Amino acid sequence: MKPETLPISNTSLHPNPEGANMANYNYVIYEKRDGIGYITLNRPDKLNAINNAMLEELDRAFAEAEPDLEVKVVVVKGAGPAFSVGQDLSGVDTSEVLPEPGALLTPKKRLEAERRRNRRWEYIFNLIKPTIAQVHGYCLGWGCNLAMVCDITIASDDAVFGDPSIRMGLLSGMPLWIWLTGIKKAREFLLTGRYISATEAEQFGLVNKVVPRAKLEEEVYRLAKGISLAPGDALANCKDGINAVMEARGLGEAWRFTNEMQIIMQQRTRERDEFDFFAVRDKKGLKAALEARDAPFKNFP
Amino acid sequence: MPTGFGRDFVTQYQKCEWEHAEYRGRQYQDALYDKVSDRIARITFNRPEKRNAFTDRMFEDMFAGLHQANDDPDVRVVIIRGAGPCFGAGHELSSPEDQDSPPVHPSKNPTMVDYYGFERRRCTKWETIMDFPKITIAQVHGFCIGASQIVASCCDLVIAAEDAQFGIRGFGNLHHGVTFWPIWPLWSNKAYAGHPISECSGKEAAELGFINKAVPRDRLEEETLRWAEVLSQLPIEVITITKEWINGILDVTGMGSAQRSHFISHIALQYVRFRPYEVNLYKAKKEKGLKGFLKDRAVTATPSQLQEKER
Repeated sequence: MKPETLPISNTSLHPNPEGANMANYNYVIYEKRDGIGYITLNRPDKLNAINNAMLEELDRAFAEAEPDLEVKVVVVKGAGPAFSVGQDLSGVDTSEVLPEPGALLTPKKRLEAERRRNRRWEYIFNLIKPTIAQVHGYCLGWGCNLAMVCDITIASDDAVFGDPSIRMGLLSGMPLWIWLTGIKKAREFLLTGRYISATEAEQFGLVNKVVPRAKLEEEVYRLAKGISLAPGDALANCKDGINAVMEARGLGEAWRFTNEMQIIMQQRTRERDEFDFFAVRDKKGLKAALEARDAPFKNFP
Repeated sequence: MPTGFGRDFVTQYQKCEWEHAEYRGRQYQDALYDKVSDRIARITFNRPEKRNAFTDRMFEDMFAGLHQANDDPDVRVVIIRGAGPCFGAGHELSSPEDQDSPPVHPSKNPTMVDYYGFERRRCTKWETIMDFPKITIAQVHGFCIGASQIVASCCDLVIAAEDAQFGIRGFGNLHHGVTFWPIWPLWSNKAYAGHPISECSGKEAAELGFINKAVPRDRLEEETLRWAEVLSQLPIEVITITKEWINGILDVTGMGSAQRSHFISHIALQYVRFRPYEVNLYKAKKEKGLKGFLKDRAVTATPSQLQEKER
């Protein structure tokens, strides 16, 4: 049989560097250069907080990059001062990202929503091409999840990781913490919701390498370029093999279990004197709510 | 028909051993229970003259304490610590023969059924601490060895003095039929990747991610209370659900099988045949007393001392 011919010229791997279909992207920039697909979260004025629209565009960008033969490896990064602060907590256009507490939803609707949320992480985790998260500044909540589901994370020394979900009475919902950091540290990070410096993140397996901020772009490019030189089929095989091991260690079941726990967490009884993030937000604004959320945990641990 | 030395023989996993330890009207003795504040309870191992080595009574008092903390609707965080020189030195090796701690004495000629009952009682103790629905913090100073280290590792968080001493004496544990605790390697990927974790200081343990924080000894209490205070501000249901989620994932990763394999290998070790030159706890204890045994064991387990001996 004649081998399939790939649409790659000898002179230039990518004759059309701006060839990505940029139509209908507002919060994400998707571009291709040098065999590398770049997905940039682009809502810098909100520190790349993820709302419904951005989520939908992220889905599309990954779906576009995956079958594209001109893209060997995908780099995920953030525009502006941070990678991403995670879910948009403003409550505007966030129904898919974060159900408002007290929303009247049937258990079936909740389960469907949780499945969609987790399948999104699973999809990126299992993307058939290597993914690299290029992290600088804040990388919290879903931002942190996004970095965790990428195959490799390179961070600048000013990066700050963490999942403060518990401080708002929410469940983190990212099982990869357990595998990446080990049990003791996972418990500490999830039960305290504390912020994690780049160095500590590197020390405990959240990050592959920390570099100075000025070197971040170059370091990620070198890594991505190096990976892009390997045969695409081999990369796909290698990644799938690694993920098969994770599956054997129970990751698949962990996602499913997480769905159930999310629903329990959403429907739990609230305490009378409990700090209610969303009530404070509605009354005093998002900034005040965030300050009130983190105040008891100041200088901790 | 042997029935686990007169105890109820339980074929199912019991996840809540503490429910069987009654706290109402209890005179706490080998472990003490007190409330630091409304939301923080504390359990203190209280056999300082025996370096807080575990007896059955100490386990019972500890579980009664957990039971009481669970029933107290105000409590959100439980601190576990040791009185006197250290957190704990593991199982009491000179316990009377009918005690669960340490392992069954061969002279009792126990059957496999006895062993199963015994091992289940023992392993459900560890699971009970892990699955406790409120946050547990181990406050470790001095020695934290063997069973005491298991207890600490089953707590959610461990805060230790920098000069605390974790670990077991090399392979010495094999001499009295106790295998390595299988969860330790899972505790930290770093420790698992590079270290057999036989002995390490609090400082080293923190660097390995094996515990959460090491502080100078004189600041240990203050630091532990600080963590407890901050964490006790979280709503209790949030704590419980988050813990259940984390522990559920651990079960998915095979924690249950690891526990089972641990107690099966305990049973297998009851049938170890000691070669003449090997150190046998029961024989050595009979001939040389506990101190003599410990001396022999230390020599066998520590390569440098072994070489010296050969020289």
